[in-house]
Amino acid sequence: MRPLPLAIAAVVVVLLVFVPWLASDVMMQFAIDALLLAVLAQAWNILGGFTGYVSFGNSVFYGLGTYGAAIAMAQFHLPFWVGILLGIVLAVLCALLIGIPILRLRGPYFAIATLGLAAAMGAIVSNLPIAGSNIGLVLPLIRADTMFYELSLGLLVLCTLTVLWVSKSRFGMGLVAIREDEDAAGTMGINTTVFKIVALVLSALFTAVAGSIHAYWISFIDPASAFDPTLNVRMVIMAVFGGPGTVFGPLVGSFILSAIYEYLASSISTAAALLFGIVIVLAVIFMPRGLANMIGGVRARGPRYFLQNIRENRL
Amino acid sequence: MLLAQILTNGVLLGGLYGLMALGMALVWGVLNIVNLAHGAMIMLGGYAVYYLFAGLGVDPFLALPIATLGMFVFGYLLQRFVLNLVVRSAMLNTLLITFGLNVVITYLAQLAFSADFRTINPGYAGSNIAVFGITVPLVNFAAFAIAIVLAGAIWLLLNKMPLGRAIRATSQNLIAARLYGVNPRQLYAVTFGIGAALAGAAGGLYGTIAHLTPYIGASLTAKSFVIAIIGGLSNPFGVILGGIFVGVAESLTALYFGPTYSDVISFGLLVVVLIVRPARALRTA
Amino acid sequence: MSAPGENAAGATTRIPILQAEGITKRFSGLVSVNRVSFEMYENEILGLIGPNGAGKTTLVNMISGTLKPSDGELRFEGQPIDALPPYQRAHLGICRTFQVMKPFPGMSVLENVTVGALFGRGGEKVMAKARRSAREWIDFTGLSHRVDARADSLGGPDRKRLEFAKALAMEPKLLLLDEVMAGLNAVEVEEVIELIKKMRERGVTILVIEHVIKAIRSLSDRVLVLHHGEKIAEGDPAAVLEDPRVVEAYLGRRRQ
Ligand SMILES: Nc1ncnc2c1ncn2[C@@H]1O[C@H](COP(=O)(O)OP(=O)(O)O)[C@@H](O)[C@H]1O
Ligand SMILES: [Mg+2]
Repeated sequence: MRPLPLAIAAVVVVLLVFVPWLASDVMMQFAIDALLLAVLAQAWNILGGFTGYVSFGNSVFYGLGTYGAAIAMAQFHLPFWVGILLGIVLAVLCALLIGIPILRLRGPYFAIATLGLAAAMGAIVSNLPIAGSNIGLVLPLIRADTMFYELSLGLLVLCTLTVLWVSKSRFGMGLVAIREDEDAAGTMGINTTVFKIVALVLSALFTAVAGSIHAYWISFIDPASAFDPTLNVRMVIMAVFGGPGTVFGPLVGSFILSAIYEYLASSISTAAALLFGIVIVLAVIFMPRGLANMIGGVRARGPRYFLQNIRENRL
Repeated sequence: MLLAQILTNGVLLGGLYGLMALGMALVWGVLNIVNLAHGAMIMLGGYAVYYLFAGLGVDPFLALPIATLGMFVFGYLLQRFVLNLVVRSAMLNTLLITFGLNVVITYLAQLAFSADFRTINPGYAGSNIAVFGITVPLVNFAAFAIAIVLAGAIWLLLNKMPLGRAIRATSQNLIAARLYGVNPRQLYAVTFGIGAALAGAAGGLYGTIAHLTPYIGASLTAKSFVIAIIGGLSNPFGVILGGIFVGVAESLTALYFGPTYSDVISFGLLVVVLIVRPARALRTA
Repeated sequence: MSAPGENAAGATTRIPILQAEGITKRFSGLVSVNRVSFEMYENEILGLIGPNGAGKTTLVNMISGTLKPSDGELRFEGQPIDALPPYQRAHLGICRTFQVMKPFPGMSVLENVTVGALFGRGGEKVMAKARRSAREWIDFTGLSHRVDARADSLGGPDRKRLEFAKALAMEPKLLLLDEVMAGLNAVEVEEVIELIKKMRERGVTILVIEHVIKAIRSLSDRVLVLHHGEKIAEGDPAAVLEDPRVVEAYLGRRRQ
């Protein structure tokens, strides 16, 4: 990363800090949502983008973060930060417990196993009395959008700094080597098991905190929304649309898609979903390596970039 | 007696599940595409039969071949003009594009058919026959029988016919396919069309025994995936057996643990299968 | 350090760096490697030859840890290594190339080699230092002009150079080279032979699998011959290559 983009990023972050004093209520709702979704995309990026393990089950960690906060606050009347900690502990334990068997699977097998876990977890939680069974839990209500906004922004910055570190570190080199060729990575001295598990744990951790913040912010949770499987799809698409395995791609991808979605959802929700689907189809055909790669490619080769992508990938 | 009844229900339902998974297994095994829109195509087949029946008064079992043929054409065109553009890109990309297609089909269906529940309800829908005191619903039995017949047809196609040999050669490698004198683009489209046709047939049958909504696709895709893994990608009868296994497991889970768990049992099975018998899963990188 | 060629005589007096005892690999009925025993001595070059399907690659896979032997024992510097996963063997200094070259396709040449410097026996923890030593190995193998190229854009000979640079960056003690000369022209073969000699001068012990008999002759201190998974000859290159059983194994194959 050159110093210039970093400087720009720093300026943008400083400007973003002041948004709550300028934005309307509706804008704030959108901003908090967009920031949390960006965290999910960025956290997914550590595992899916850098390590090449496509998870359709990160909603499990999100749900555990959600329930950690809700159980701590609604059932035991503990402060919010304890809730966040509980969420982290649950998510990390879960990542360790399921990661060890599941990270042995590769390709679509891993992807679908995680999808299965996401579905199973919702069913399990809806049968736990301490989690409010299938009715859900109500958290103490506070109106503090500014706080939620700054927390979400802080989390996103932290998560992105982590990804920045990954992209430049020995650890990250190991992850990318695993993505490129796992067997070769092993014979070159990389302890692939440990690397993959650490990537999963990092991914789980940030995802869980996003869940905790979201739970307190909307102050009511139930299994269906906490373990919403479509959330997985949204984070994967945002990351992949922006450019998986890059530092800023998932951010840009998620902000753009959040904005499109928000704009359309305010008119007709079916049309919004439909357009979302069409965007995915077109994106895979014309820019299979994500937005970041496309910008570079188009600058270098103009519209021929798109044709070349098709020529490379068609039968 | 209750157990025997539950097992019978599970087996009959499972045969249909196997048919659902058959198309997915074929497309996955031959084209290496895990089609996340497979369930949405099942849903389309269901609506096609529904409208032929409710709108034009065609008997569901006569409407079935029409819907199947229609879905073949749909699948053929989809592969020929969309999916063929991306088949050589990374697996993640084929997952994503079929996921996108799933979204598009689902919401187009919602616009076209509305979100209301539909069932295909011919006059004979409730009829049963009793065998040794076990009630066998006629429609379920017919669905089961058709699933077996179609699996047999696919087996014959793959093992006894030149087209089938070309398809199997393609699953080994593309160059071999050219030796059979077939255009791979064409062959991919035909194979995907057959997969879609099987989905369509399964959907029509599914509509006679369960509700149709535009949203059933995702869970049917997941179920098909699980069954394809359990049953294997190469033998149609293996897939049907996988379906029966899942159908029975679901019925038993519903009986002993309650229906909320019956939806997740297939995933539980999936995780167990992948962990206990990972050899094949590990090889497909 | 003794000059190349003089090792054969002195070899037996030194400690073996690698000992294989009764190594066997069965694949569902088929025996690919059958009770093979041999030793490798520090800083020697051992040529491993045999017709296609003889079990050479399988043997390398078992030494590097990507395959578990069905039977037998492996020792590296006197320690049993059978229980160690591939990455730990790499840390000990066992390093291999793949017959089907396996660079990390989406990474640049520099990144590929840096991975070796970061995770091999040297295990350099600091990125900047690892990059620096990677550059040195890239120079050493003559790949400096492609430092920033993506690995999957390299042509055949450059790909082999990359494979060498990656291996060397790991600071191996034992290097297993699986048919690195396949597909190269005579000039390129000559370059690779020189490269292997330079590696040996740096103290590396090397197992060379090759069909290019000329290369085996000019490099090896000793030669080991596998046929149908069994060791049929071992010893001085000139003698082994004239052994009637070895000639038979190769020619019998050719005639088919
Ligand atoms: N993973 C495997 N599964 C089954 N058979 C294998 C496997 N790897 C190698 N073989 C078989 O082992 C034998 C030896 O192969 P290999 O070691 O590659 O020979 P070489 O490298 O000497 O040409 C061959 O018959 C090959 O088919
Ligand atoms: Mg070989």
